[in-house]
Amino acid sequence: MVEIKYQTKPLDIWNEGKALRQQYYENYAKAHEKGGIRWAGGAWAYSAVPAGLGDDVWSLTGEPYGASVAFNKEFAARCQEAIEAKGFARDLCAYLRNYLGSVVLDEYVFGGKFPKPDFMWTTHICCSHAKWYQIASDLEGGVPFFCIDVSTGLIQDFSERRRDYVVNQLLDGIDWLEETTGRDYDDEKLIQAVYNECEATSLWAEICAMNKTIPAPLDEKTMYSLYVFGTIMKHRPEIVAFYRKLRDEVQERVDNKIAAVGNEHRRVITDTQPPWGFLEIFRYLEKYGVVSVGSLYTFSLIGAWEVKDDGTWGPKTTPQEQGIDITTRRQALEILADWTHARPEWQHFYSAQEKSDMMLRIVREWQVDGVMLHYNRGCEGLSLNIAENRLAFKEAGVPVLPFEGNMGDEREFDLERTKKAVDSFLELLGVK
Amino acid sequence: MFDKFKEWYDNRHDYAQAWKKRTGGKVLGYFCTYVPEELLIAADILPVRILGSHEAQDVTEPHIFGMFCPFCRDCLAQGLKGRYDYLNGIMIAQSCLHIRQTYSSWVKHIPQEFSYYLYMPHGVQTPHAYPYLRGELAVFKEALEKWMGRPISNKNIDRGIEVVNKNRQLMKKVYEFRKQENPPLTGLEAMYMVVSSQMVNKEEHNRALEEVLKELPNRKLNRNTGTRLMILGSEDDDTEFVEMLESLDSTLVVDDHCTGTRYFWNEVEPQEDRLAAIAARYIDRPPCPSKDWPERKRFPHILQLVKDYNVQGALVIQQKFCDPHELDMPALRKMLEENGIPTYFLEFDVTVPIGQFKTRVEAFLETFALPDLF
Amino acid sequence: MITAGIDFGARNVKVVILEDGKIAARGTALTGFDLKIAAKEASEMALKAAKLKLDEITHITETGIGQGSVEFAADSVSEVGANAKAGVKLLPSARTIIDVGAEEARAVKCNESGAMEDFVVNERCAAGAGAFVEAMSRALEVELEQMGPMSLKATEAVPMNAQCTVFAESEVVSLIHAQTPKANIACAIHDAIAERVISMVRRLGITEDVLLVGGLAYDVGFVDSMKRGLGVEVHVPEFPEYVSAYGAALIARERAKE
Repeated sequence: MVEIKYQTKPLDIWNEGKALRQQYYENYAKAHEKGGIRWAGGAWAYSAVPAGLGDDVWSLTGEPYGASVAFNKEFAARCQEAIEAKGFARDLCAYLRNYLGSVVLDEYVFGGKFPKPDFMWTTHICCSHAKWYQIASDLEGGVPFFCIDVSTGLIQDFSERRRDYVVNQLLDGIDWLEETTGRDYDDEKLIQAVYNECEATSLWAEICAMNKTIPAPLDEKTMYSLYVFGTIMKHRPEIVAFYRKLRDEVQERVDNKIAAVGNEHRRVITDTQPPWGFLEIFRYLEKYGVVSVGSLYTFSLIGAWEVKDDGTWGPKTTPQEQGIDITTRRQALEILADWTHARPEWQHFYSAQEKSDMMLRIVREWQVDGVMLHYNRGCEGLSLNIAENRLAFKEAGVPVLPFEGNMGDEREFDLERTKKAVDSFLELLGVK
Repeated sequence: MFDKFKEWYDNRHDYAQAWKKRTGGKVLGYFCTYVPEELLIAADILPVRILGSHEAQDVTEPHIFGMFCPFCRDCLAQGLKGRYDYLNGIMIAQSCLHIRQTYSSWVKHIPQEFSYYLYMPHGVQTPHAYPYLRGELAVFKEALEKWMGRPISNKNIDRGIEVVNKNRQLMKKVYEFRKQENPPLTGLEAMYMVVSSQMVNKEEHNRALEEVLKELPNRKLNRNTGTRLMILGSEDDDTEFVEMLESLDSTLVVDDHCTGTRYFWNEVEPQEDRLAAIAARYIDRPPCPSKDWPERKRFPHILQLVKDYNVQGALVIQQKFCDPHELDMPALRKMLEENGIPTYFLEFDVTVPIGQFKTRVEAFLETFALPDLF
Repeated sequence: MITAGIDFGARNVKVVILEDGKIAARGTALTGFDLKIAAKEASEMALKAAKLKLDEITHITETGIGQGSVEFAADSVSEVGANAKAGVKLLPSARTIIDVGAEEARAVKCNESGAMEDFVVNERCAAGAGAFVEAMSRALEVELEQMGPMSLKATEAVPMNAQCTVFAESEVVSLIHAQTPKANIACAIHDAIAERVISMVRRLGITEDVLLVGGLAYDVGFVDSMKRGLGVEVHVPEFPEYVSAYGAALIARERAKE
């Protein structure tokens, strides 16, 4: 055991967050009762765009839903069996299997029957995204499906021509949304959603940046519960409000040196989604005073970042902060595309080097002692190039522990073996 | 008469090195058949597709996580072992994550004069993909010009289009013979023919194809055609497997592989804007499943092949861990079976347990020999 | 001073007792289901050989799968940490220590004082090295002890898929049916495992000298495959199976002094 050095306390906003999340999944399930609309798609989808159909439009994003299923191990096992029985391979994306299994069983992890979406709206960034909703559409009896190709590469290559490719698809998408739902599209609502999304995702980066402080005001396990709002409704006003409050509370913790973990002694980061059913691994680390202060994943799947004047990462300046007045549909979509494609986690799909560089930056700026890389058998997208990232850490002299697992399929995670590997890592960090 | 193709396939490295020496030209290795060879040929570059060697290896573990497909690791192993050291450049046309990773590691660890990541779109069903890819090809052409130190003229591009189109036409003509009741060529021969086209100078390949086409009408194979099979799925140049298969009273009459029809099926339709014409060809080609959405346009194409080639059964194969194919497979098998085509699934690795696969395929083939009950 | 190390392996529990830093005795027992019983059996065997009583041991450090399962152990160390310590003691020039046991393979890179610098453990797909040889010896109807010597008589290299044991196993069955000579199959099995292990070790980078420890280091066929695969000399200490236990005992001694 390592001595307690700092004061600690739970987040005041915790229960509010919990209620917000519950409310959200309920709103989705009950949308039809109030004449609203439900859509399903990836967490990477341009979720602000369907917002132009009205305030009563609710989405179910597949990845966080798949993670919620993973939390419930009994249900997850049934989902996986159900989709495997349909002939789908066991090595496919674990979220996809959990989600599709839930569709096949017609059971919603939050209770009741699986709420069938009115349409599917997503983007294709990894090999599974479009195919996921293609299959979901089949399984649900032909739900209308629209998918946007966002494979335009690194942000530094995102020329006007490439952006036009994305924006033109989004414009077609809006026509499609009107046609599919029979509703008129309201550009004002789109513009507001774009402002919201920019602010929410910038706020999340601001919150994560506060974790550069020693002691860290937040630990990654807690951050998982907070960043999730960015994956389920990043464009909605209630999230902006929530993240503002959270930002203020975390600032207060920084000012008063309130730590997430009282015995913070060594700081690590992780990579990719964690094995959701086994977050106890973080508790195990904490026993030895080791705190995970985040990851490229928790910071930037949703968080919007930019390099500040002093050369360090900070929250991206929003269009509203820049005094940009969005007046047209096209302008709103252009700003949204620029914003979206700049998110750090999007870059790693195109370059191992780019991802290694970003992670090494985090190691430096967040004062990190070691890195735990989750070789995630459940997500090839985020595990992409992970072995090269490991080599980059080795080259930079940063202690690194690769551990194998699966974010959503507990059959592929071996807790005892992982703890053993963690033990060796703790020895390497000099804390055990 | 197909020996030439096998020779090229078996000695791909010797061929490329000899070509380089003879012509003084540059050789570019590429991943994925979405690479527009027309432009490379227009720039007098020899494009060679990087494929694996089907040998066990122990060099890729530090670079690629074990749950990525064996093919992408086998390809990287070739580079790490120095077998492609003669390459002047390397490129990829954006395709699945797995092979992109091979490219990423290759660029990092194997020095190159030139490397290029072509942002081939995934959304090949949106009309915006045409101008988008046209723009990407223009950027790529500029990069090639800069590398080669000379402009690529319309005349050069026309020659590139012509020679690749001719190659496609000739291979399609050879495939026509596979429609016959007793095809005068085996599936193995066809596989050598197409894969070698990805490795050698297309003009030479065209000449070899013309020779073959002269003799094919009179060729008779001293073998039983047996059950007419189609093979489809991910990258496949497992010649050992195909040879075993065709020793079992069956013949592969057609395929849907990127080492087969997906590579050469459609042509560039000439138009004044050459790059637009090339772009359209790659957008409209039989897609890899990773690009086949929202509709599954590959399926009607496969069904057409089944009909045209009088296919009786299909072997659905995939590289272990190949997600795009895994995601299509249940719907694909259902579609084939609803159309009266029994399917059999096999998972491929760098090498396959040939004895076991033989037993399994034999059992599948036996189902075709069962007499009707009524 | 008397210290001891206990190593809980997947197949066997091993105990090493040190008297003033020198090995006084070794003991082993099948791991079985109850780690406590196995630890007791192995300890008693070693104590008996050393003519000592349990309470005469100043400090006991454990390693391996069953950490925390015996109350007489004072603390624990990871296998890779123990291997680094023992490896350098056994062969001062050792910098890479590869440990291949019944179920797991691991490797550690260390400095001249036996401190760990980096390590790797196998992933799930590559599990079961020693157990695989055992299962295959049954398939070949060859005594396990004969697998190694037989393998050295191979006349031809037979390629075998090395990615996954399940695949490899089916290939062995194919080879048997194809009447491939047993020596060639035995060699192919060793090559396949060696290749998987080497694949993993390459993540560390291979720094000489290389020391091979663990139960499979007794198998001369496997050692030969490792040498050929790595292309460098591979050293095997006496009693390779006890190296982790020895390392734990050395660490117990250091900790007792603190």
